[in-house]
Amino acid sequence: MFFLIYLRRELLRRKRQTIVGALGLAVGIGLVLTVTMAAAGVKKAQADVLHALYGIGTDITVTAAAPPPPKLGSSEGASQGFSPGQGSQHVDVLGLPPGLGPLDATAVESVSHLPGVSAAAGGLLLRDTQLDVPTVQEQSTPGWRPSQKNLGVTFTVIGVDPGRTSLGPFASAQLSSGRSFVAGDTGDDVAVVDSGYATANGVATGSTVTVAGTKFHVIGIVQQSQGGGAADVYIPLARAQALAAFQGLPSLTGRVDTIYVSADSASHIGAVRNAIAKVLPTATVTSSSSLADAVSGSLAGAASLASNLGRWLAVGSLAAAFAVSSLMTVSAVSRRVREIGTLKALGWNTRRIISQLLGESLVTGLIGAVLGVGIGLGGGLLVRRLAPALSATVAQNPGAKIPENVRIDDTGMHHEAAAGGSHTIAVHLTAPVTLTAIGLAVVLGVGGGLLAGMFGGWRAARLRPATAMTRVA
Amino acid sequence: MYTLTGVTRTYRKDNATVTALSSVDLVIEDGDWLAVQGPTGHGKTTLLQILGGLDRPSSGRVTVDGRDLATLREADIAAIRAASIGFVFQTFNLIPTLSALENVEAALVPLRISTADRRRRATQALESVGLADRSGHLPSELSGGQQQRVGIARALVKQPRLLLADEPTGNLDEQTRDEIIALLENVWHDRGLTLVLITHDPAIAARAHRVAQMRNGRLTVRSGQARTHQ
Ligand SMILES: Nc1ncnc2c1ncn2[C@@H]1O[C@H](COP(=O)(O)OP(=O)(O)OP(=O)(O)O)[C@@H](O)[C@H]1O
Ligand SMILES: [Mg+2]
Repeated sequence: MFFLIYLRRELLRRKRQTIVGALGLAVGIGLVLTVTMAAAGVKKAQADVLHALYGIGTDITVTAAAPPPPKLGSSEGASQGFSPGQGSQHVDVLGLPPGLGPLDATAVESVSHLPGVSAAAGGLLLRDTQLDVPTVQEQSTPGWRPSQKNLGVTFTVIGVDPGRTSLGPFASAQLSSGRSFVAGDTGDDVAVVDSGYATANGVATGSTVTVAGTKFHVIGIVQQSQGGGAADVYIPLARAQALAAFQGLPSLTGRVDTIYVSADSASHIGAVRNAIAKVLPTATVTSSSSLADAVSGSLAGAASLASNLGRWLAVGSLAAAFAVSSLMTVSAVSRRVREIGTLKALGWNTRRIISQLLGESLVTGLIGAVLGVGIGLGGGLLVRRLAPALSATVAQNPGAKIPENVRIDDTGMHHEAAAGGSHTIAVHLTAPVTLTAIGLAVVLGVGGGLLAGMFGGWRAARLRPATAMTRVA
Repeated sequence: MYTLTGVTRTYRKDNATVTALSSVDLVIEDGDWLAVQGPTGHGKTTLLQILGGLDRPSSGRVTVDGRDLATLREADIAAIRAASIGFVFQTFNLIPTLSALENVEAALVPLRISTADRRRRATQALESVGLADRSGHLPSELSGGQQQRVGIARALVKQPRLLLADEPTGNLDEQTRDEIIALLENVWHDRGLTLVLITHDPAIAARAHRVAQMRNGRLTVRSGQARTHQ
């Protein structure tokens, strides 16, 4: 076809013009791709945060906010404090972490029957605090300072339903020694310990850990792939419920504090979230997209960077690239006035001439798209190489603020995050290459080419055919 | 057959009005061989543009075989040019990125003939101007005379009824000029072409059957009467 011959000749014999035109578009497209990929990376990092907290396979979690603290002087309030006495006292209490409240276990069943839910499991995320209350005599010794044991040692405990280990944080734990829970463990004092905690505290398979004053036999050591370490110690849910106490409740039997939900497809997550919120109106329902709003730390900064600055930068450079390539085509048409006039004299109608010009700029746009994908891939690599490790901090109940402790000393009032009230997870920012991103590049290249070609064609259509005869080149 | 009655073409440039053609009356019979002479800037090219439908008169009427050009749409005029009018330009106007053969082929593109046919006819046209061995050359690789012969092959390949040539030898030396004119006369003679040729050159005008003079946009036919092929 003559169309293709002419097209090829124009592009190959005006190489510099073709390359400059394609490169201009490519830079714009490459930037858009990089930003798109980085934004996808941020999204993936947010999903990683959810999975680190709640386990791979969990799409949605349900938590409840803590009820208001008991009034001072009430009988419940009295049990919160420890008064030094004559003899030494050791305290070991298992309770909910700050900010988290109990949910009725029947909610797990009702959630699991909602449409779009493929599975739901209840879990009990707890905090164990052990401390030695100093005696009155110790405290009155001159120069006495509280030791770490006096201030309290805490670790996190998760009650796992041994019959449903495929959901929740325990699901993504990799067994590194010993064995995992089996259905028969339900009522036994057995524990699986996170490798990080085990190493720090000299725990191994066969030894014991003490939770709420009860010795648990360690049957296995697990490792969390995300390194976040959702919990230090996992014990059977029924035992955790029996041993935990909360604001005057002697035990948490029949209660959980987190429900892990998996949806039957990613596209149903939003609908399932809404359905759960209807069934449990006071609970916090979290998915990876809503978690993003609850995250603080450098991940949140990266997310807003990607969505604000990055987007404007990309849109701006793309607009500039489109404008430059349109201007280039228009000026190319002006330089080819005589050629276009000659074609008209040969009997080419305006439509044929415009399609020829459009074809040229379309192919230039496609070359720009290919180069742009290259630039985008390079940009993605750069993001992966240069991105600092990000951290995300989320409240145990993502619907609430991170709970604070207020400490007053002679320099004034200090706010600090309550121990165990939040999770901090390290995530790595990636820039995944997706088919959508490649498709976007092609669309932008074609769009840029079409736009430029339309301007060029418009210019060509307005040329008087008589220009073929003008003497000036 | 062309009939021009009271054809006037004015250009407005800023506030001044230039009258390039001033009520030109002209009849061109099929098979005519008309040379147009005249000083520079006096409207010769403008006349040719109007004959070729590249430009429209400001006033007056142009009819081709009884059809008024003013009633035809741009695309229809393009189709007439594609089928039956050949142009030869003073500055050759070959498309710089296309080879000699492809330049000739470009004239056949609007006729929608098969690729093989197009190539065959273009090759023949190049042969007839003695450039068969240069078909793959780019215009920049050809001499001025060779470029103009490619231009003539391009104008003749569609076997037009009318050939409009705007100073086709103006940029060529005398020997090449004579070759080119001989070539055009042969085609005129063999194919029953209508030939309208603009020239400054008295030697060329002397060979035409009719000579017209352009002066200040006015056309006067100076010599000869419409004469067709023997
Ligand atoms: N597009 C245009 N706009 C304004 N004026 C024009 C335009 N084209 C031609 N003219 C004017 O019309 C007049 C006739 O021009 P034309 O090109 O027909 O002259 P010509 O006889 O062909 O001259 P030459 O022998 O130099 O080619 C000139 O004065 C020219 O300046
Ligand atoms: Mg002229």
